Amino acid sequence: MDRRDLLRLALAAALEKIPAAASLAGSASPNKLVLITLAGVRRAETFSARGLENIPRLHGDLLPLALFYENCVNEGVTSHFNTISSILTGVWQHVDDWGRDLPRNPTLINYLRSQLGLAAARTFVVSSNKALTANIGAGGTVILAKQLLIEAVERIILGWSDKPRLDRELLLEELTHVMQQDYERIGWEVPGPSTTMEPKLKQTFLTALANFMRGPENATSGDELTLMVASEVLRRVEPDFLMVNFSDMEIAHSGVYSAYLAGIRRADTLCHRLWSLLQSLPAYAGRTTLIIVPEFGRDPDGSTTNGFFNHRTDSEETRVTWMMVLGQAAAKPAVVSEPVRHVDIAPSLGALAGVKCQQSIGRVLPGFRVRA
Amino acid sequence: MMTIDKELLKRLPKTFVPALNEQLAKWDLLFPCEQRLIRGQLDYLRALPAKECQELLQPVFLLEARMQLPAWDAASTGITVSQTSALVRSPLYPQWRIEVETVFARINEALEGRAESRPLNKVLVCVLPAGLPLGPGPIWPDLARRGRTVDLGRDFGSLQSELLRALAAGASAEPEPVERTWALESAVNRPDSGVEGWTTLCFEALAPVRRAFLSRLNLIRKDLRSLDQTYAALAELDLTPFLDPRMKGDARMSAFIRELFLSGNGAVLFGNSFVQWGASEAMRRAQPQVVYCAFGIRPKLKPFSSVVLFEDQGRANPVPDEDDPAASLVDARRLAEYVMLAAARLPSYRDRTLCIFAAADQSSALVIGPREAQAGGDLLSSAAGWLQSSK
Repeated sequence: MDRRDLLRLALAAALEKIPAAASLAGSASPNKLVLITLAGVRRAETFSARGLENIPRLHGDLLPLALFYENCVNEGVTSHFNTISSILTGVWQHVDDWGRDLPRNPTLINYLRSQLGLAAARTFVVSSNKALTANIGAGGTVILAKQLLIEAVERIILGWSDKPRLDRELLLEELTHVMQQDYERIGWEVPGPSTTMEPKLKQTFLTALANFMRGPENATSGDELTLMVASEVLRRVEPDFLMVNFSDMEIAHSGVYSAYLAGIRRADTLCHRLWSLLQSLPAYAGRTTLIIVPEFGRDPDGSTTNGFFNHRTDSEETRVTWMMVLGQAAAKPAVVSEPVRHVDIAPSLGALAGVKCQQSIGRVLPGFRVRA
Repeated sequence: MMTIDKELLKRLPKTFVPALNEQLAKWDLLFPCEQRLIRGQLDYLRALPAKECQELLQPVFLLEARMQLPAWDAASTGITVSQTSALVRSPLYPQWRIEVETVFARINEALEGRAESRPLNKVLVCVLPAGLPLGPGPIWPDLARRGRTVDLGRDFGSLQSELLRALAAGASAEPEPVERTWALESAVNRPDSGVEGWTTLCFEALAPVRRAFLSRLNLIRKDLRSLDQTYAALAELDLTPFLDPRMKGDARMSAFIRELFLSGNGAVLFGNSFVQWGASEAMRRAQPQVVYCAFGIRPKLKPFSSVVLFEDQGRANPVPDEDDPAASLVDARRLAEYVMLAAARLPSYRDRTLCIFAAADQSSALVIGPREAQAGGDLLSSAAGWLQSSK
């Protein structure tokens, strides 16, 4: 972060009155908000006649419970950082794609913290996407789970660690080492008075890493680690707002169509698992709204940008996906054909939590129940 | 080297200049049809009356005036990743892209109208490797409805040598050799020994070049400056020590390989992506009369290593190598379709390409193309005849 970013953060904090205290304590909102963003997935491989086989959980188990928006439009820059910034601010963002800059408007995290007086640890971003930085959730807690995994794997592969090979126990040791020693360097934004991580948070992450490496699922992917971390955060910290990002499907950039489909299928399972966990936790059951939304689609087959590999075209395949709302705000499951936009998400979740996203250009989603 | 007069440069939109200068600076590394196209476009613009030129380019100028563009000037050569990123995130980028495409479509349409000879007929062959778990139905169900299935009487793999010879013999001798017959292959398995005239690029054989690229890509830190620096270094990297002896003296092919690997799309990482993207780029840039794509079987992605894609999957990973035929089928089937779609986008291939889809261990092939290209005869004579009919 450079001087200009620091100044902007200070300005944003002053404007939004972000509480200076950064502990796990803080006033909890009565409504819990969970947002899952999936990286680039086309409707062709998900909610289409041929795509349904890739999303048995989303389609078979969750759709009947959901407020489902058939047409969710990304009118902004179809890159990861800009899209997620647009979702969180409710304003189309045009900032650096690599997350070097803060979003130009306050995020939902800023609004929640300033208007509800929430502490930093009451809002969490747990991300799989390599393109995100702590700027995506400035003011809250940001855990770049996949970045941790990449760092640990790279250290072993490149011989920068004393662990000679990538077996589960050695990788767990390396993950633990990097997480404890280098979490700031790999971009995590964890609240605390010093560079030492708060013990409760540290234990949360250590448990997540152990579950990832030793759990019955035999997990290996970045998205699975992201889910493990998010699950432990929900169990132990019980934040009021959690954003999770799954991105294994981005292997599509390398043209491995089978692995792209596998990424979608994995995300399908993980979304369902997260929803089931929310139903099982007393702090969340009956008072949580979960939104699942792709960041964008991917380019159309036959496009000059090489089809599913990329997400750059100004086309329906790239800009229009879908969105699913579950829980409290989806009191009446329905399928909504009317187009909605990514910028509608922040004001909708904000309204549910009782905060106003003043700078958002979006509106509350149709059919989205804000009050009981 | 080709040069451009300063007066013409002044008439062009700011966003056109860096890419054009880059093309001109590496003029000798461009393929003949690229040189013809650029020369034709510049001649067209030069000859265009000032008022018409302004009218043609005005929509782009108007957009540029409203965009925050990098500090490009008449001397700018090339566009960095940072500059591309700045351009793409502009709110006006989608509109700009449409207007630029419109300008070039109008220029190219005018050039096509003036062309003295029509493009040559083309043949595109996409072959899946033996050993894939193929079902009883067609391999490409959607494509099957657009073409006809030809019974070969024997496995496609056993007639590859004959087909390659027939295609090489059928290709026109008029264009330069590099515009005639190209083969892109995942593994070294093409029985082309003794078949002259093929421009062959093989993912497996290019392993030393790929390793040189990957070792440098691994050092990129997570910022654009690092990315730009690495790309600049790779653009200067001397590939000669890593290339097959047959290619060492070919500066143009060396540059093609470099640009292929720098343009992403998995070409440096996965054999089938290399074949698809290499074929697409070959058709866009060199426009060969015959393109032969031999897809392969990729290894299974290894646990944990696969999160670090810029790395050798086998390094420090105790999991043994294992082929993944089922996933390879899913990949290669889709990517073969993409090669045909890439051809369909290009005026020099559209409506004049005979496409042959096959699997090496199957005794039938799917043939798609103009009706007259499929008229009777066996596959070899049909394909060779189609090439020759455009002479």
